[in-house]
Amino acid sequence: MSILTSGLRRTAPRPARRLTAALSLAVVGSLALAACGSSADDSAASADTLTVWHYFSDANQVKIMTDYADMFEASHDGVTVENVFVPYDQMNSKLISAAGAKTGPDVVVFNGADAGTLALGGALAPLDEQWDAFADKDQFPDSVVHTIDDTTYAVQGYVNLLGLWYNADILDEIGVEAPTTIDELEAAMAAAKDAGYAGMTLSGLPQSQGEWQAFPWLSTEGFTYDAPDAGALEAGLTRVRSWVENGYLTQEAVTWDQTVPFQKFAAGGVAFAQNGNWQMGTAASDADFEYGVVPLPLGADGQVYLGGEGEGIGAFSKNPDLAWEYLAETYYSADGQLVAVNNVGSLPSRADAGQDEAVTGNALLQPFSETIARFGANYPASVIPAAAVADVQLTVGQAWSAAIGGQKSPADAATSAVSTLDGLLKK
Amino acid sequence: MTAPLASAPSPTTLTPGTRAPAPRARTGLKRGNKLAFLAPAAIFLALFSVYPLITLVRMSMSAVNAATLNGDWVFTGLENFRTGFASGETTQALWRTGLFVVVVTVVGMAGGLAAAIALRTTGRWSGVVLAVMVFVWALPPVVNGSVWKFLLGDAGLINTIILKTGLTDTAIPFLYDQHWALASVAFVNSWSVIPFNALVFRAALMGIAPETFEAAALDGANKWQEIRHIMIPAARPTTLVLFVLTVVFAFRSFDLIYVMTYGGPGTATNTLPFLGYLQAFVRYDFGLGSATSVFTVLFVIVLAVVYARSIRREESES
Repeated sequence: MSILTSGLRRTAPRPARRLTAALSLAVVGSLALAACGSSADDSAASADTLTVWHYFSDANQVKIMTDYADMFEASHDGVTVENVFVPYDQMNSKLISAAGAKTGPDVVVFNGADAGTLALGGALAPLDEQWDAFADKDQFPDSVVHTIDDTTYAVQGYVNLLGLWYNADILDEIGVEAPTTIDELEAAMAAAKDAGYAGMTLSGLPQSQGEWQAFPWLSTEGFTYDAPDAGALEAGLTRVRSWVENGYLTQEAVTWDQTVPFQKFAAGGVAFAQNGNWQMGTAASDADFEYGVVPLPLGADGQVYLGGEGEGIGAFSKNPDLAWEYLAETYYSADGQLVAVNNVGSLPSRADAGQDEAVTGNALLQPFSETIARFGANYPASVIPAAAVADVQLTVGQAWSAAIGGQKSPADAATSAVSTLDGLLKK
Repeated sequence: MTAPLASAPSPTTLTPGTRAPAPRARTGLKRGNKLAFLAPAAIFLALFSVYPLITLVRMSMSAVNAATLNGDWVFTGLENFRTGFASGETTQALWRTGLFVVVVTVVGMAGGLAAAIALRTTGRWSGVVLAVMVFVWALPPVVNGSVWKFLLGDAGLINTIILKTGLTDTAIPFLYDQHWALASVAFVNSWSVIPFNALVFRAALMGIAPETFEAAALDGANKWQEIRHIMIPAARPTTLVLFVLTVVFAFRSFDLIYVMTYGGPGTATNTLPFLGYLQAFVRYDFGLGSATSVFTVLFVIVLAVVYARSIRREESES
């Protein structure tokens, strides 16, 4: 995945600058982050300890980290893998400020879309040498390799994407099939509402998670980042607003990250949930009804991001060789990728792991595989400059939230967002 | 520490009406001691307050993003401030912050005084309630925010009570309607500052001599007259100090918005501190975020000066 970075000047970091930057962040942070501290330890690991930063809070996702730690410790006597939770919203800023102080974790598990931001911030170590020498690198498609300015910084061990989860019991009761078009979806939500159920859950949070959830519905109306069109954006926002006004979707979705709406779905009483393959473990453990997944019922222009976490080595890792061994034996190995399949249902990025029975024999994973073929889109869109990715995601996420929450009309939200996007995409 | 004590003149050597000669050597030593005691705090403040503040101002006048944070900062003058106002974000955030501060200050002060009056008497129950209030005050804001987010949700306790009692037919959109959301986070901020205000007001009320209330009772004063003519005047010197502290608390409030609404729906609860967070730590435009934070710092500095002056006046009057 090539991310454009032209026009950005990088200078050799100097200790005084780093100190200044770190202290500056402390001031801005103290003003803005009064009590959002976390347990992340900024210091890199000792010789026998490998520190891995991640932002997973879901029990099934945390179990992957624990399983990887167990796998690696079992094959490396005396080595301890320390998984450190850093809240999603604080991961990038902590990594960049840690890099300014010449410290940070050995391994970073981060939102793949933020690879450009982290690479530009000096938080990731180049992986070219290790990746070029990696015997299995041909197993990975280019779309999961994060390359910035011809330098590889991270690779994804799996792909995550959105699908349409449905409550089969409710659909049976109201007598409808899983939808294949938007019209069918809206008819099914209307029937579910009439039967006393909620129609849909999704995230309307005004940040990158909202943008991730919004993009399929916006793109199916013709919205793209290649040429952002206010009319297409307005059409997408109008549709989701109509779901709120018709009672299919609660306006409360603007306060939900992606975890909460699936918990609501798993609790029962909701016909559909727009959520990802990584919720498979939660569905198995929490849902006491029959459920299934179909691809999001999008039109010909519809796109679904192929996301997932990127895994890389911290720029100031004290154990870069050990960190690479960890990545090669867990996230980048066929056995390691199957751990993620079995725990949460992530789709392996390796071709050979993708042919494993755990994947091909899983009926719930098939709709996601079908989605990759029909609607799969790079995340983030390659046309977005690396330095503007976060800004673009926030802008569209806020427009999505404003429309769902009724803060702005879809027309106003679309006009305002496209005006901002025009400037950002020219960066 | 023993030298000054050893050289101090004995009280018995002083006769009434005479003044002891100023011990020059001791004065010099005391000044040295004062400086020695002052130095750690001064160094700490210089390192962790003054220098970062200077750097913050410098950053606000520079182009700083994720790529340049650890490199050279290009000076851009007031461009970041202009950008903030030109986008309309700063102006909107200023209005929201002003409204937010007014609600938190009024509710926080009135609630604090009311609680202090109710808990003025000593006894088991007032002790229990005070203990609970201290507990609430000591709760981390993130915990406070999470609990209130749960309580104010559609299926939360408050909406459940409202719906069960038939006050409304539909849940009140506490956190997802643009007007309700700002009011809700302001209310929760007020709720979290009331215990502190109540404790300070109560300390002021406890200083009123019991004879004053006895005299008022003999004169036939009712409870409201006691409050109006005795308690409120007694709390007045404390009020200005507490007012400034409450305004500062409200002005820099970030945590509850982060947890409860993340600035939403849309941008409806983006106050200055949260806007600064979004700009610096989500958009990675540290220069723009610093410019927004400078506004917050300026307001807080003005209030800090008012606070310092009021404290000095109160001390001189007492």
